[in-house]
Amino acid sequence: MIKKHQPLRKFHDYKSSISRSPNKEPLWINSSSSEMSGPLFSEKIINKNDNDLTLNFSKIGEKPLGQEIFVHGFVKDENGNNLKNVLIEIWQANAGGKYRHQNDPSNIKLDENFGGCGRFITSSDGYYIFKTIEPGAYPYPNRGTEWRPRHIHFSLFGSMFLQRLITQMYFEGDPLIKSCPMVNSIPDINARKLLIGRLDLSKTENEKILGYRFDIVLRGKEQTFFENKREGL
Amino acid sequence: MNEPKKLIDTPSQTAGPFLHIGCTPRITGINIFKSELGLIPFQDISDNEAINIKGKIYDGNNEPIIDAMIETWQCDVNGNYSSNQGFARIVTDLKTGEYQLKTIRPGNKINTDGSLSASYITFWIVARGMNRPLITRMYFLENDLKNDLVLNNIKIEDRLNTLIPYTEDKKNFIFNIYLQGKKETIFFEF
Ligand SMILES: [Fe+2]
Repeated sequence: MIKKHQPLRKFHDYKSSISRSPNKEPLWINSSSSEMSGPLFSEKIINKNDNDLTLNFSKIGEKPLGQEIFVHGFVKDENGNNLKNVLIEIWQANAGGKYRHQNDPSNIKLDENFGGCGRFITSSDGYYIFKTIEPGAYPYPNRGTEWRPRHIHFSLFGSMFLQRLITQMYFEGDPLIKSCPMVNSIPDINARKLLIGRLDLSKTENEKILGYRFDIVLRGKEQTFFENKREGL
Repeated sequence: MNEPKKLIDTPSQTAGPFLHIGCTPRITGINIFKSELGLIPFQDISDNEAINIKGKIYDGNNEPIIDAMIETWQCDVNGNYSSNQGFARIVTDLKTGEYQLKTIRPGNKINTDGSLSASYITFWIVARGMNRPLITRMYFLENDLKNDLVLNNIKIEDRLNTLIPYTEDKKNFIFNIYLQGKKETIFFEF
């Protein structure tokens, strides 16, 4: 089976992918115990406010700038079963599009009340929730200067290393999504939509925090072919 | 009867150049979590059993990648995988691109078919410019590697040496990873 829902490694419109992807075909092999096992993280590593980015870095009584949002959803396997004990780590820019990182070249100000990272472990029904602020779009060098759509980076550990995933959530309606080469590196146009957090008016608090719903599916054990052939067979 | 419809797994996207904020926040000066993940793969590694692995990841222009994260995953000395040890998270140095890992040499165990399992460490790599993670393995013995790939009916011999580190003392290893070029590392898909 050939699947087109995962991005191409080498995608011409995304310039840094050209020198940062292999030229030769990958080697397809059967998963063994090293792929079908993985680290498990306990609730003990999580603080109470780790999933609240409006609180986990700010000074007491102060808040970061920006529109407050909830981002929530379920983590599932490919059969639709909800996955518990999945560690989710997120990171993002502040409301002005600036990352708290020494290599971010932008002149935009840091927000002294915003770190930009959070952690959560899914509950027994596979549910997760973060409270944060809407990140700003930001420019980056690609084919000249281009703009990243607003996004939140997500990292997930399933129950085996095969399920390890790093991805990004975009925001419904963002006009920058369409021209983003990272999004467009996914050949299947419908699969691109799986990365869009949907406005969720049912998830509001005191009518001042907007909700976004973003469900995530982790792969199973079966091989998913990205190319027509298996090298070496 | 219809096969139950499978959900499509969420597409991968690059971790970007600022992955440290979420994955190793202390490097960026953010000190809010209880601990960093995967600081050491095993508790109480004795000097006797410790091995040191270091190297760089080279891009297609032969430049070391300074914004990569590597997660390593391995079994213990008896060849067993366990969910509470064997995981390490390291990043390449923001200036030099070098990574360093102190761990133990993974062991072998007897498979159900009587063969001996291979000793290797899995390297799972993400960085800016990588739309999907790159997965490779560092084997300690060429024989292990050959047996392992024979099991998978693999018939490529000319690049197998890209999966073997350089060592003089079997304690300190250099394992460089090349994304392109003559020395292009073998990367796996599962
Ligand atoms: Fe980003």
